[in-house]
Amino acid sequence: MPETALSFVGVTKTYSRSHLGRTTTTRGVEELSLELASGEIFGLLGLNGSGKTTTLKLALGLLRPSKGEVSVLGHPSGTAKALASMGYLPELPYFYPYLAPREVLTLYGRLSALPASSLPGKIDTTLEAVGLSRAADRRMAEFSKGMLQRVGLAQAILHDPTLLLLDEPVSGLDPLAIAEFRELLATLNAKGKTLVLSSHSISEVEKICHRAGILADGKLVRVISQTEWSGEPGRLEKLFVETVRPFANA
Amino acid sequence: MNPILILAAHTCREQLRNRSFQVAILFAGVILYMSLLLGALAAEQETRVLLDFGLGLSELLALALAVFGAATTVLKEIETKTIYLILTRPVPRFVYLLGRYCGLVLSTAAGLLAMAAVHLALLLVKGWAWQASYLLALTGILLKVAIAAALASFVALATTSVLSALTMIGIVWTLGHFAPELSFLARQSMKGPAAPILLAAAQLLPNLQLLNFRETIGTPAAPPLRAVLFGAAYAAAYSSICLALAYSWLRRKEF
Repeated sequence: MPETALSFVGVTKTYSRSHLGRTTTTRGVEELSLELASGEIFGLLGLNGSGKTTTLKLALGLLRPSKGEVSVLGHPSGTAKALASMGYLPELPYFYPYLAPREVLTLYGRLSALPASSLPGKIDTTLEAVGLSRAADRRMAEFSKGMLQRVGLAQAILHDPTLLLLDEPVSGLDPLAIAEFRELLATLNAKGKTLVLSSHSISEVEKICHRAGILADGKLVRVISQTEWSGEPGRLEKLFVETVRPFANA
Repeated sequence: MNPILILAAHTCREQLRNRSFQVAILFAGVILYMSLLLGALAAEQETRVLLDFGLGLSELLALALAVFGAATTVLKEIETKTIYLILTRPVPRFVYLLGRYCGLVLSTAAGLLAMAAVHLALLLVKGWAWQASYLLALTGILLKVAIAAALASFVALATTSVLSALTMIGIVWTLGHFAPELSFLARQSMKGPAAPILLAAAQLLPNLQLLNFRETIGTPAAPPLRAVLFGAAYAAAYSSICLALAYSWLRRKEF
């Protein structure tokens, strides 16, 4: 396995929009350089619009960098080889409401080229891991936000990816689900998976991440290692506030 | 399983579970049954009227189902972001587009067959003698609908508007049935610098007349095999070009 799971080298992403002949550009991320080691849990922190989701989408190839390079386990982002080894939980995952979790996981499992013979067993195991076994055959139109989040997590881990990108993973989950979710992430990490969490929940990042990066105005302004906050609850939040306040007031 | 087949099966299931799809097929069944009244007014031409009306209605409903599906499926997936979870798997974008398209055509074929079953039952009850050219007529309808769905996929992606896609397909569908006449008129009546442009525009329209096999039912001269094969190849080529254009749009799209 390559030592670097995810790498951004001088990545800039600008969005251009034309309206009535006038083009406006918005900066998503600017000169982002970051390397994540295999087996690491990395937290992306930032205020709204700071570039967290843009960073994840660049890694997935849903967005293309205006400048710079993004690679996943040695492959350019967005290529089939890169995508085959990634799992993605979007912020507020949307699913086909007329399908049940088992059906949607069958679809995603097949698209991820999981062998047909092992797919049903794999789906059962994954549904159990996210606590959805009893709702496996219920239409998702009836699901709460938290249940949809669990389905989102299930589809992200179903194909046993090496790198997991999770955008606001605890959003909508109740405290018990958050605790279970944290345990699941720890288990996955113990199996050697690399995890990237984009989150507003600093306490979650503090509890499970090895490093955290703070984005402000599209720039990675600070990378903090766990040693800087461990042993002092609330320390990461202080560091975060101290780092982003000048940008929020600017 | 091939990802194109997986996505086609998924699209088929999605369409067949869609309320609008089910209502349209039910509506077709009711109208076809009610067309018996129309046939009764035609006295000696009853079966001919029933035949033409039924095939015409089936064609229009199949067109509506396929074009509406093609215009909305991908745009809706982009809007609801369900496309994220497909494109973040090792599924190339052309595979996604082709799978969705094949599924739409297959589900439309299923709908068309359901309508044809009702239609045929009514015709046989009324004493119509079965002709194999009926199947040829259905094939022609499906090929025309396949062209329209491919074109709708492209227009919807390029304009990101369902309404403009539906309007444009309505116009192209109508003009496409007069494509040879339009080319002839452009050649005969146009002079000056506009002539080549008009001629090119007429050539760009799909020639749906080539696939109008239903006109041959009941006539002694069935279309030669060569014409049928040419029509099928034409439909495949025209649809492929439209899908290639749609792909060129989707390939560049960011989410």
